[in-house]
Order: sequence, then C-alpha cells, then structure tokens
Amino acid sequence: MSLKRNVSLATGLRYRGQGPMLTYVLHRIGGLGMAIFVAMHILASYLGGDIGGLLNDIYENWAFQIFVFFCALFHAINGLRITILDLFPKLIEHSREAIWIEWAVFIPVYGIAVFVILSTALGG
Amino acid sequence: MQVTLKIFRYNPEVDKQFHYETYTIEAEENDRILDLLEHVKGYKDGTLSFRRSCAHGVCGSDAMRINGRNMLACKTLVRDIGDRITVEPLLGLKVVKDLIVDMEPFFDNYKKVLPYFINDSPLPADGRERLQSPEQRARFDESTKCILCAACTTSCPSFWASDQYYGPAALVTAHRFIFDSRDEAAAERLHIVAETDGLARCHTAYNCTMACPREIPITKAIGELKLATLTGKIE
Repeated sequence: MSLKRNVSLATGLRYRGQGPMLTYVLHRIGGLGMAIFVAMHILASYLGGDIGGLLNDIYENWAFQIFVFFCALFHAINGLRITILDLFPKLIEHSREAIWIEWAVFIPVYGIAVFVILSTALGG
Repeated sequence: MQVTLKIFRYNPEVDKQFHYETYTIEAEENDRILDLLEHVKGYKDGTLSFRRSCAHGVCGSDAMRINGRNMLACKTLVRDIGDRITVEPLLGLKVVKDLIVDMEPFFDNYKKVLPYFINDSPLPADGRERLQSPEQRARFDESTKCILCAACTTSCPSFWASDQYYGPAALVTAHRFIFDSRDEAAAERLHIVAETDGLARCHTAYNCTMACPREIPITKAIGELKLATLTGKIE
C-alpha cells in the first residue's frame, strides 16, 4: 500500500518555484484564455440567435477584452523569451534577467492597452 | 529558538489518508532540517520515517519539500527557513511512508538514457586510459555533479503530469555522456532523448535548476540537448 502519485492542480500551484514558476503558470492561463476566446467566437457564429448574442456580449465586454489582451500579450512575450532561450542555451544563465526584461516589456505595453480599453469603454 | 515543525505523516498500515503532525522543538539557528527530523524521531515519535545516509549533501537521500520547495534536509539550515517549517515528501512519486517516496519510476527513467560509459573501440596502444583535454572535460563538468536526489525531477510540472517523462535528472545524465568526447553512443542517446517522453516535455519551467542542491544548470543542459537534437551537432 502506498499513496498515489497524482499531483492535483492545487498542490502543484502551491509549489514555491518563485518567478519562473509564475511565468510558467501565467503562460498556461494565457493559452487557455485565448482558446476560450476563440471557442466563444466560433460558437457565437455557429449558434447565432440569443445564445450567440450573449456570447458576443461577453467577449466584446471591456473586462473580457482586458483579460484576453493579458492572455495574448503575456503568452506572446513569454513564448518569445522561451524560444530565444531554447535556441541559445548559453543565455539560460541569464534566465532571471530575461524574466525581468519580460516584465519590463509587458507591464508598460499592457498598462497602455488597459488605459485605452478603459478610456474607450468608460469614457463614452 | 523555538521551532514549529509540521510534518506530513502517512502510515500505510494504519492510515487511509495522509495527515500532518506538528511538533514544537528547541533548535539552534545553525541546525539543519535533518537535525530537527532526527530530534523528532529520537525524542518525540520514533515511528517517523525518512531517508538519510551521509547527511552531508553527497548521497542525495534526504530530498524533500521544505516549506513548499524541494531541498536536501541535510543542506538546509533553520535560519534560512524560519521558525515555522513544513516538511513534505517529494511530489509526483508514490508515498511509501511519511517522507519516504517510491523512487522506482525515477530510476526507471534514469536507466532509459543509458547512464553508463559506452566505448567499444580498442584501448590506446599503451593500454592505459583514454585521454581527454581539460577543455573536453570541462564541456560536461557540471552534469557530472548529479547525486540523483530527484529534487529536480519532482519539482517539474511535466513530471507531475506524467511519470513517463524522463525528467531533468535523466536528461542531465544523458548530457553528461553525450558531451563526453570519449563516449561513442551520443547518436543513440540523442535518439532516445528526442522521443515523445524526452526533451519535448520540457517546457523550460526552470523549477529543476532552482531545486538542484548541487547548483547544476539543468535547464541549460537540457537546452543544449534540444539544440543538439535540432542541429545534429554536438559542440
């Protein structure tokens, strides 16, 4: 008898991998968020009618746009970092700095995007 | 100082599920987590089970999760953790008892990469050792430091998802032999690590490098293997 090896999502998320682990988790959330967005788009067109209209309202909502833009932008920048590190393994020594650069690029770009989305949505 | 030590407990002969037990003990700042576990086993509860051997960071027996992160209990000091310490077994391997996990899947994966020197060519004319320059030796120096503690492999989200994934420790071992100028099975090993359960499952999460008690640049070694499988060149 022994305890099973399965690692639940909650247990995995509690592992304290710090900055790199955070980017790993956010990358997955980003991918999932984009998949949900695309699926809603397809479903809205396919179903039409009231349900299609409801799905349309959800993904055109400013709050959802802020979420989707987070997903797409983070997934893209983090993916670019991983691609560069995979192609040039010597740079992996500077992995910590690469993550700081990633955040330095992400935060202002995302901040501007959120500002534009909010001022358009709430500014009338 | 007084330390609160919360330990994961599971006795397969009694328990259906695991639980935690908390012990309050006196400790010095320079005590290691292993010292605390020995104290609990010696003075509080003799049924506590954990692996330990050399107690000096060489054998790799006492890898465990300490405050949510994989470490060697014999290399981790109380002053680096604080006075509230939680000790749990490694993730992704079956728990046999308390902090002891079943290492078989880990070693099964290790064996897949042919973790031994292969060279069928005749020995040099003088019949002595196969020579290697300091630069050739330095090429795989870091990878030789692995003590097979499994801290890296069990910190990897890909391994949590599937124990069929070779894991960082096996890939580091593959790196150690593939980049050894004296070894002749690099092509065969590159073919093995290029399998579905090999390099492709590494998503550069970096947990392995951060967990390694020997400070081996594991992600870099795996990156070099990825590049070697892409280009077919070992440089």
